[in-house]
Amino acid sequence: MLPTFAYIRAQSLDDALKHLAAGGARVHAGGTDLIGCLRDHVFHADKVVSLSAIPGLRGMTAGRNGALRIGALTTVAEVARDATVRERYPGLAQAASDVASPQLRHQGTIGGNLCQRPRCWYFRGEFHCLRKGGTTCYALAGENQYHCILGGARCYIVHPSDTAPALLALGAAVEIAGPRGRRTVPLEDFYVLPSTDVERETVLAQGEVVTHVVVPRPGAGVRSSYRKVRARGSWDFALAGVALALRFDADRVVDGRVVLSGAAPVPWRSREAESAIIGSRLESAVCRRAAAAAMANAVPLKRNGYKIPLFTGLIEEELEKLGRA
Amino acid sequence: MSDARERDDGPDDKRGVSRRGFLSSVGTGALTLAAARQAAAEMPPPTEVVQATELTQVTLLINGRRHQLLVEPRWSLAYVLRERLGLTGTKVGCERGECGACTVLIGDAPCYACMTLAVEAEGAVITTLEGLMHGEDLGPTQQAFAEEDAYQCGYCTPGQIMAAEGLIRADADPSIEAIQHGMAGNLCRCGAYAHIFRAARRAAELRRGEGGAS
Amino acid sequence: MTPERDERYWEEGLDIPQTPVPSGDPEPWKQTRIVGTLRPRVDAYERVSGTAVYPSDVVLPQMLYGAILRSPHANAVVKGVDASRAQALPGVRAVISAFTPTDRSIRGHETLLREELFVPQCRFEGEVVAAVAADTPYQAADAIRAIAVEYDVLPFLADERRALDSDAPLVHETGNRVSAPGRYSRGDVEGGFAEADVVLEREYRTEAEIHTPMELHGCVARWDGDALTLWESTQGVFSVQAQVASALDMPLSKVRVVGHYMGGGFGSKLQPGKYTLIAALLAKQTARPVKLFLTREETYLAVGNRPPNNMRLKAGVKRDGTLTALDFYATGTGGAYRAGGTGALDWLIRDLYACTNVRIETQDLYINAGPARPFRAPGHPQCAWALEQLLDELSDAIGMDPVELRLKNVPSVSQGRGNAPYTTTGLAACLEEGAKAFGWREARTALLRQPDDAAVRRGVGMAAGLWVAGGGGPPSTAIVKLFADGSVNLNMGASDIGTGTKTVMAMVVAEELGVDPDAIQIEHADTGTTPYATGSGGSKTVPTESPAVRAAALDVKRQVLDIAAEEMEVAADTLTMRDGKVVSTADPTVERPIAELRGLRARGTVTGVGYRGPNPEGKAVNPFAAQFCEVEVNRRTGEVRILRFLGAHDSGRVMNRLTYQNQVFGGITMGIGLAMTEERVLDVDQTGKMVNINWHDYKIPTALDVPAEMTCLPIDRPDDEANTTGAKGIGEPATIPTAPAIANAITHAIGVRVTDTPATPARVAQLLADARKGG
Repeated sequence: MLPTFAYIRAQSLDDALKHLAAGGARVHAGGTDLIGCLRDHVFHADKVVSLSAIPGLRGMTAGRNGALRIGALTTVAEVARDATVRERYPGLAQAASDVASPQLRHQGTIGGNLCQRPRCWYFRGEFHCLRKGGTTCYALAGENQYHCILGGARCYIVHPSDTAPALLALGAAVEIAGPRGRRTVPLEDFYVLPSTDVERETVLAQGEVVTHVVVPRPGAGVRSSYRKVRARGSWDFALAGVALALRFDADRVVDGRVVLSGAAPVPWRSREAESAIIGSRLESAVCRRAAAAAMANAVPLKRNGYKIPLFTGLIEEELEKLGRA
Repeated sequence: MSDARERDDGPDDKRGVSRRGFLSSVGTGALTLAAARQAAAEMPPPTEVVQATELTQVTLLINGRRHQLLVEPRWSLAYVLRERLGLTGTKVGCERGECGACTVLIGDAPCYACMTLAVEAEGAVITTLEGLMHGEDLGPTQQAFAEEDAYQCGYCTPGQIMAAEGLIRADADPSIEAIQHGMAGNLCRCGAYAHIFRAARRAAELRRGEGGAS
Repeated sequence: MTPERDERYWEEGLDIPQTPVPSGDPEPWKQTRIVGTLRPRVDAYERVSGTAVYPSDVVLPQMLYGAILRSPHANAVVKGVDASRAQALPGVRAVISAFTPTDRSIRGHETLLREELFVPQCRFEGEVVAAVAADTPYQAADAIRAIAVEYDVLPFLADERRALDSDAPLVHETGNRVSAPGRYSRGDVEGGFAEADVVLEREYRTEAEIHTPMELHGCVARWDGDALTLWESTQGVFSVQAQVASALDMPLSKVRVVGHYMGGGFGSKLQPGKYTLIAALLAKQTARPVKLFLTREETYLAVGNRPPNNMRLKAGVKRDGTLTALDFYATGTGGAYRAGGTGALDWLIRDLYACTNVRIETQDLYINAGPARPFRAPGHPQCAWALEQLLDELSDAIGMDPVELRLKNVPSVSQGRGNAPYTTTGLAACLEEGAKAFGWREARTALLRQPDDAAVRRGVGMAAGLWVAGGGGPPSTAIVKLFADGSVNLNMGASDIGTGTKTVMAMVVAEELGVDPDAIQIEHADTGTTPYATGSGGSKTVPTESPAVRAAALDVKRQVLDIAAEEMEVAADTLTMRDGKVVSTADPTVERPIAELRGLRARGTVTGVGYRGPNPEGKAVNPFAAQFCEVEVNRRTGEVRILRFLGAHDSGRVMNRLTYQNQVFGGITMGIGLAMTEERVLDVDQTGKMVNINWHDYKIPTALDVPAEMTCLPIDRPDDEANTTGAKGIGEPATIPTAPAIANAITHAIGVRVTDTPATPARVAQLLADARKGG
């Protein structure tokens, strides 16, 4: 049962921003993550500010230089089935299709998917953990089978989003509106490691909301993919996932990104894997080297050592597959 | 929650009066439903803060009928359907968006009513299991679930039927893979999935007018 | 309200009332017209239209909503409860705890409140501490959060594998052993091992599972003066009635329990909960009906689980496949109270395969966790996980096909019951016909052609099983009422927990009285209006109830034929009932519609009463099973995809082919959960709290985790010696062999054995990595 909160369904972005300026105000887009967090008392909302009635935040339009501009309130399902997305950004289409369940894809929004809070069971459970303002990360000495192997410090969550790594691989940026105006932030700079700030996952300040996601037009020869390994076929976050967006010249990789999900507190760009493949054909030995490079700096916790062989196998497989595509 | 916070928001300058104060009186029961309705008809869509423990009027379009009722901001659509309107065809299994028993159609899309605030459902076209009936006759998806024995205890069934209905509205002839993906947002602890898949296929046939009456 | 009450419900010889022995059993059916067909449910319309009213759907005028405050600690003593803030919140009508003053209306229950419901020492996370009733469930939840509790937090034990360590915290002062080890032996085990050509010893573990039926546990309670009515989501209305009446010291007649529909239980709803009494007390104190359904999270903590088990199995086999000895040691935990942590865990070792020399030791242990409740085939799937995997390894070691090895050791008697013969055993048929229908040998041969280094490899696996109960037995009483127009009312106490009980019983009545099953109105599962029935559990509902229903229908039939014989002026024993008519068996043209029987019209109704007779003395009645599956394993990622499944089952006569098949598929699906995804995770090193108390973190199979197509192969052999309908149970046997069949298929695919559940990509990827390092 949800605790009490005041509510407003804002009719314009300015209206929403006005209400969001106060501490304790929370954004309702699709509501699926917000309601879960409120129910679990992960955080409290004095006031819920709904964006759902604001015109112009839902749907996809052509952006500058052939980019695709996706309104933050566009549902994950709309992204997954959009013909342009499927044709130009198969990695994003796949990632969006892999999110949660059909219903949650109909309700959840792309903006919400990028901004959702972590699924760490201590964070979501009755544990006053570091990320909730407490003094302990329970995962460090506890049940850390689903936690990070890269980028952890003080807190060991993994970032839960599937669309974030796919979008990050594609070089996407988010447009943000806030009390001090608007700004555009590349997704690569959007997420915050716990070493920087243990209580938030993004650079969003109080009162700021993501309004659009801008995905640049893929250049010639770009192929993208996303693959997620999970413990069950639906409704599950990644044990290990990899988003690829690689530009090929003939069969040689000339540029691109390798981004891991389920690995780190942020969508994790593996420059090690990227350097191992750029300039090469994706032959088995190259893929194997890249996969090993991606894991070279991984430090498993007590119960998630499996992630290293799992990621290694997964990255290898996905690189080979994209090389053949 | 605190009154101090309300004041931070200031009066609604468009009308020069605080709609918030106006709505607050609904919570105290001073305003009748009829008066609220009248007020709603006279004014543009409100953009006022509804305070945490006050009741606000919403109009929900459910199964083709308009229901006007007073709700708290935190009430879920599932709670309102079941406990306030008696539409208990919609079930509740988790209230966390993790089982699908409360699946309803919003427009043609299956959604979790437990993860939908009633205040957010205003203006949406909502269909529940009861809304698939044609008078006393079963709709094709319901008929298919009955024929294929696509349930055991039956508690997840309304949600499964709504998910299948949404699936075949979007895809008139779904493959088995499409059915498995489309039904992947509804748990069945009894494990009747194999029969549910058959029912979804049968429902599509019935809807297309194949394979007998309905 | 102690959790151990139903611990051994599946065992025979319970001290329960017995119904009279029917005089003169009817002949077994030689041919059936309705029984055995494929028939949708008689209540299908209600189930798909939404008109079926489940207990959680009940909405009464003036109804309040209850909620429970539970201990957040694995082990703590409640020192005080301050409910003053909660009581002042809007909508709050009552707060009860061991520390709140008792309202006059519930005075007399102080002991119940202080010592039985709200125990001071909370030995598990989720033990009840206080409860509230409020106008809305939201307000009730607010009130729960506003109650301040002072706890003395104590050291806890959350892993039974550490229970006997010298420094382990004690769950009870008497120690962490629930009782002395359970021991069983026959023959000479050491001699048996000496005889063997191959001896293998392995360790296995199955994780704790949570039932999580779709409908939450709970009830609606309403008082009318001194009479209490409970709409409870339950598998057995009479067990709820008995326990509530006893706890509240009320006459049984004043406690009416209604449970027409219920949203799943799997063993966890065979008994009422503390919540049932709390709802009754809150309703009493507020003089209003109270609806109290738990939250999903609460159901993970406090209403049962399948105990985790640690098993060591040693087995010897000769080259010709003869099993020479079995030595089994196992531990388990039913949580903080005596709740069958190793209950029935050893039965397959004792009984599934012919083996002269057997030694068993089991140790039930306490930990600070919620008490177990029976969970679909208690003990059996866990034991099968061990036994059926080791059998596979043995067959490999002696170069014999796994099916052959099992066929070599099919027993004809129940060795665990002093060699009592089975009334029927279809084990060999399940193995042979199942293997044939699955294409077992062909698949094994075809898969030999896979390249060794393929990234994705396929494998096939199989396993067998039997269920210790499944024969049912007395007591059962059923009443059949024939109306003057030939339509029928069936009155029975049993719950239909979703297995199709009502439909099967209607088919039995229809078979005998020649009416359409859909023309039968059924009154059931209501202690106020129906005869006593035991809870629907143990896969015994059909074999228990159907003979009583048949007897009641035959009682009606005898009376109707007597009336007809007089009016048609023929001998009663030359008449039968068919298609709404009384028909001569000698001359089918001699017939009379039932509705035209004057004698029947004069009486208005004819009522028949039927009882369940005893089971054959000195015989064992058990269902048998063998299941086969094919999987695909990605050797890079450890992902396992189940491609197909076949269940071959001997459960006696197939009463309704459609609901039978549904049970088989459902059992397989639940077994997939045990094998692949389900696991209770306790924060063993820090707090002892369960960290995955929701359906996202505790993963039950979804539509994408089961194979799209499954096959049900009934070994349809009426067990005429068992009872008068020839049926045995199917619900539980259907889930026993599933998990080890999958494990065996995984091993067949990748050569690595998964000895611990669940076989997630995490586990399989790690095992493959270890194997690469080791090999």
